[in-house]
Amino acid sequence: MEGQRIGVYVCNCGTNIAKVVDCEEVVNSVRGMPGVVAARCYKYMCSNPGQEMITQDIRDLGLDRVVVAACSPRMHEPTFRKALAAGGINPYFLEMANIREQCSWVHEDGRAATDKAIALTRAAVRRVALHEPLEKRYVEMNKATLVLGGGIAGLTAALELAMADQLVFLVEREGRLGGNLARVDLTAPYLDSARDLLTDRVTRVLRHPGITVLLEAELTELLGYVGNFVARVRGADGAVRELPVGSVIVCTGYQPFDAGRVAAFGHGRLPNVISSFELERRLKEGKVLTDKGRPPQYAAIIHCVGSRSEAWHPYCSRVCCMTALKYGHEIRATHPDCFIYDLYIDMHAFGKGMEDFYRRSAEMKTIFILGGKNTVPEIRAAEPRHGCEMLIKAHDLLCGEEVEIPADLVVLMVGMEARKDAGVVAHLVNISQDRDGWFIESHPKLDPVATTTDGVFIAGTCQSPKDIPDTVAQARAAAARILARISRGQLEVDAVYAEVNEDFCSGCRMCNELCPYVAIEYDETKKRSHVISALCKACGTCVAACPSSAIKGRHFTDEQIYAQIEGVL
Amino acid sequence: MAFEPRIVGFLCNWCSYTGADLAGTSRIKYQPNVRVIRVMCSARVDPSFVVKAFREGADGVLICGCHPGDCHYQEGNYKTMRRYPLLKRLLEGYGIEPERVRLEWVSASEGQRFADVVNDITEQVRRLGPCRVKTVLETDLVER
Repeated sequence: MEGQRIGVYVCNCGTNIAKVVDCEEVVNSVRGMPGVVAARCYKYMCSNPGQEMITQDIRDLGLDRVVVAACSPRMHEPTFRKALAAGGINPYFLEMANIREQCSWVHEDGRAATDKAIALTRAAVRRVALHEPLEKRYVEMNKATLVLGGGIAGLTAALELAMADQLVFLVEREGRLGGNLARVDLTAPYLDSARDLLTDRVTRVLRHPGITVLLEAELTELLGYVGNFVARVRGADGAVRELPVGSVIVCTGYQPFDAGRVAAFGHGRLPNVISSFELERRLKEGKVLTDKGRPPQYAAIIHCVGSRSEAWHPYCSRVCCMTALKYGHEIRATHPDCFIYDLYIDMHAFGKGMEDFYRRSAEMKTIFILGGKNTVPEIRAAEPRHGCEMLIKAHDLLCGEEVEIPADLVVLMVGMEARKDAGVVAHLVNISQDRDGWFIESHPKLDPVATTTDGVFIAGTCQSPKDIPDTVAQARAAAARILARISRGQLEVDAVYAEVNEDFCSGCRMCNELCPYVAIEYDETKKRSHVISALCKACGTCVAACPSSAIKGRHFTDEQIYAQIEGVL
Repeated sequence: MAFEPRIVGFLCNWCSYTGADLAGTSRIKYQPNVRVIRVMCSARVDPSFVVKAFREGADGVLICGCHPGDCHYQEGNYKTMRRYPLLKRLLEGYGIEPERVRLEWVSASEGQRFADVVNDITEQVRRLGPCRVKTVLETDLVER
């Protein structure tokens, strides 16, 4: 530890950290700690000048270790590691103290927060002193990709990869391609046909020699690691095939909310209350009629069924508002005299061409009724004297009164929800779900298609509700990420893994059994175990279990963690 | 001055640490007593880490991992789950109340749950009062 030169940088993050934590005090608390030769505060450490400050200090002051007290390492560890590398020192000589997500953002008492920030930063200084230089590892990459799901996202991703001459296995559970979009008639806001969007893609996918389409097939297991996965897929014939692939794109989509769950709407009880997908089917057949075969004189469209509701899903499903306006146009096209009521909470017209579409719909004399959040319109069968099939009791926020609306046909704009078996898929490919069941991306803004498992990407509505343009963009982004890796030939993988000190290994083989990746081998002649580093994912289970302390978890060594424990206390 | 417990938290990188970050991005407020140390998996938490924490003056230790069945490393948390009762017995042997240690599952989407767990263990340890291991050991060494 002698002769170490540690630089400590405390980020204000604008006022995100500085308004709760006294950053100057944090800086002063580390001055004089063994090895610390520079300690500074700066408003944004992740900015270019912030990173240059580190790089410059490495050069000018001969720093060999760096602590950055700022946001979560899950946010900017890669950024600062690059700054270290730019300064010419090993990127693993960095340690971050999380004083934003786990300190300034969660505590209100400035004194307590500052004390905690000091403890975390001092612990980071103690830990970084014991860091060791680690070298990046490189592995060969299989260029084939497994695409899960044959909806618009999966089709787009598969084509994008195949057009770059790469092999694709497209696995679809149903007996046909097209996913949910195949059930849609026209699309908003330009009223062009969904079939046109799909047919061309489906044909190209089926004809492309580089794409193997497996229908009525399911992924049963995903083994291996980034660049070198083996996917076990059960086909229509029940036989399981093993597909070697380097990457996976999950495009498993959404399921529509079941409108029957909201009792007040009477879906399933009243014959003329239908879900948006049931209307799509009638529109495709060209027959939008009541159950008695009559054209509807009054049609009501109810927004946010299952969405933006405390009782069901809190989120907005994003596509329903514009789809509802589309129905106004489509119903009016077949029944020009039909009165259309649009019962909405807020009109979300966020995309290109959508505000214009809203204006055109309003000009078409659709009657918009603004309801409050969490107030559910009630639908009941009408009597013959009313001259309509049903009556809807709703609260009109703008006039502040209860209104009763006649309806012959009620369309429920069902939202999107995570598929009920999304958890099974998440488990198979080792990715996480948020509280609503959507798959979690690596970073919500900066890394929207990668996941916590390297080599597994997500695209489309399995990640969150989204419209066709966003889905296509994500699918192409995922394909582009994979193509960028393929073009580099080799994959860089994390330098963190476990290693056995064979001098201490007693050959008890306890670790062999514990490793979930079968990454530890026993050498019969040497009577010692050793780690196959390419297979090791650095969980550290074996490190904690070894009775002889013969296994070292690189970058998470016992000594480093002991130092951190001493530091926080 | 009122007793403020010092608690060391070992959080797995994939679920619990991310859940703790989510509590931050959601601006959920909780007690400042838990100092977090990030490990890749709860199964990395060597019993010696826990003993070391008490030895250094911690009043409590919190271990958080992914929910059973959700481990990023497939089954690391099951190993943690099996070690945990042994760890409690070990601590009892040292005269440390097993209630000072908690094993909790916090997923990446459970920011609120992480905050609740922290508040909970803080109150629990507050009720138990300071852990005397460090003081006893130090006096013991002096007497020797």
